[in-house]
Amino acid sequence: MRLGNIDKTTWIYLGIALALFIVPFILTGRSAQFIMIQIFIFAIFAMSYDLLLGYTGIISFGHVMFFGIGAYSTAIFMDRLDASIGALVLAVAVAVILAAIVSFIVGMLTLRLKSHFYAMLTLGLAGLFLVVAEKWRPLTGGFDGFTFRVPDLLSTSESLYTLSLISLILIFFGLRRFTNSPFGKVLMTIRENEERTESLGYNVLHYKVIASVVSGVVASFAGVLYMLSLRFVDTSVFATDITIDVLLMTIIGGVGTLVGPILGAGLVELAHHWLSGLSDVHWIFERWIILYGTVYILVVIFFPLGIVGTIRKKMAKRTAVQARSIKK
Amino acid sequence: MDLIITLIINGLATGMLIFLLAAGLTLIFGLMHVLNFAHGGLFIWGAFTGVWVYQLSGSLLLGIGAAIFTGLVLGLITERLIIRPVYGNTMQQILITLGLMLVLQELIKVVYGPDQVAVAPPEYLDGSFLIGDIVLIKYRLFIIAVGLLVFIVISFILKRTKIGLVVRAGVMNKEMVQALGINIQVVFMLVFMAGAALAALSGILHALYSGVIYAEMGLEFSILAFIVVVIGGMGSFKGSLFAAILVGLAQAFMAYYVPFLSLAVNMLLMVIVLIFRPQGLFRGKE
Repeated sequence: MRLGNIDKTTWIYLGIALALFIVPFILTGRSAQFIMIQIFIFAIFAMSYDLLLGYTGIISFGHVMFFGIGAYSTAIFMDRLDASIGALVLAVAVAVILAAIVSFIVGMLTLRLKSHFYAMLTLGLAGLFLVVAEKWRPLTGGFDGFTFRVPDLLSTSESLYTLSLISLILIFFGLRRFTNSPFGKVLMTIRENEERTESLGYNVLHYKVIASVVSGVVASFAGVLYMLSLRFVDTSVFATDITIDVLLMTIIGGVGTLVGPILGAGLVELAHHWLSGLSDVHWIFERWIILYGTVYILVVIFFPLGIVGTIRKKMAKRTAVQARSIKK
Repeated sequence: MDLIITLIINGLATGMLIFLLAAGLTLIFGLMHVLNFAHGGLFIWGAFTGVWVYQLSGSLLLGIGAAIFTGLVLGLITERLIIRPVYGNTMQQILITLGLMLVLQELIKVVYGPDQVAVAPPEYLDGSFLIGDIVLIKYRLFIIAVGLLVFIVISFILKRTKIGLVVRAGVMNKEMVQALGINIQVVFMLVFMAGAALAALSGILHALYSGVIYAEMGLEFSILAFIVVVIGGMGSFKGSLFAAILVGLAQAFMAYYVPFLSLAVNMLLMVIVLIFRPQGLFRGKE
């Protein structure tokens, strides 16, 4: 590939990515770096969600189950085998395969039906995973969970920062390539008009299932990283709250943009941090979910495109106006 | 034999509770094609408000009245502010009602506090009849009776009166019904309010059944309601009664004989239905 073929936005994204590598030298505090790591991890998770919601038009209310699968595989392998890179690679492999199998089955069951079914089935299934994690005490430690050690190489905050940033960059460009490919275009036509895509001769189910599998695999990888940063697992990695967080990130940032979810992850994580700090000031801030929910409802009604989507639409309009005035 | 009868009664009571919750959901979906993910929120609001009034006044009837009133008011507000802007856009409907669910659940904690609330049925419904060796718990019989009553009344309204006719016609062709001089927006609003009131009613009844209520209960139970709606066929009223009783019985029997499976039995039922009859048991092919 010649460098000249890369378009301007790619250069901008690459520039921002490079700038982010310098951040740990400026923000040396552990807690600040921890927040950045969380943002990267949730950005990966939110992008996987965007692939479903934004590109294919599938609503999942149980996306957290893939995240949890990744998290528990990592935790269990680190705990039962040893805290080595080899065990981690094995854990990633298991997480990815498990997530692929589960998302394939869920997809085959419900994606031939209307969108309601996928939303409902995933919500129920995630609940089932939560119950299993609670009851299967010998393996999962039940509600209390357990702590574990991570490979020495990844034990410093800086190395973890680098790992999650590299993962974020690779997954972002990978998914960008994926959604810009002919395959991704078909996904978008499915989102716009499913019947029509089908009548053009595409096997809609086939495309939707693949999208759901890719999304599940990426989400489980986010779960792996999450565990490396937390070094502690409990049933909360299957909680619906996480699905809702990631839904917020995607919607607020802008569905179907990939950059939007990253931005959304940043905003939501920072808001989390800031608002939970405010709970000492006034008890109402303990109930910040109300604020979240309200913002979310307003965004769905008034800015269904999210931040990035709205900006892009405005820019597109402006260039169209400019083009018209030049013509005159 | 006695055991089996007891289990059947338990199953029927649980089934009827689930039916009451699913009835509102299926009514709204079947008539208006809106899948209301905030249904569980209306359910807990009915439970908490109903219990609050019941404990203050000591009268169950007042409590039930308060729950239904809460359901109607919340239904009105929800339809006006949340659902109306997004009619016809399935994806936005699903997303927005989930957001509302969150807000309703957190508001419960603001208004009634974050703790669990314990509650017991009134004296005349507490205790049980003894027929031979069979124990019939009064409150469970009461729930079964209410469930059947609601089923009969709503089926009658849908089938025999003009209201059902208008709503069904309104979904098929909104403009046509409007052209005939019927304000379809008001009709839709009333349907939504009725569905919300049903959710609230099942909330207060369930509160007295389980003896304890908490805010997160809403989401847990809406999952159950979704399962029932899928098994019975989306929007089929008869189907949801049948499926609710099926789920109730399966739960009661599994909890006794195979406790480990009882957690998963509902999901298993739903998965089986989705594989072999995805449109649900009581619905023709779409």
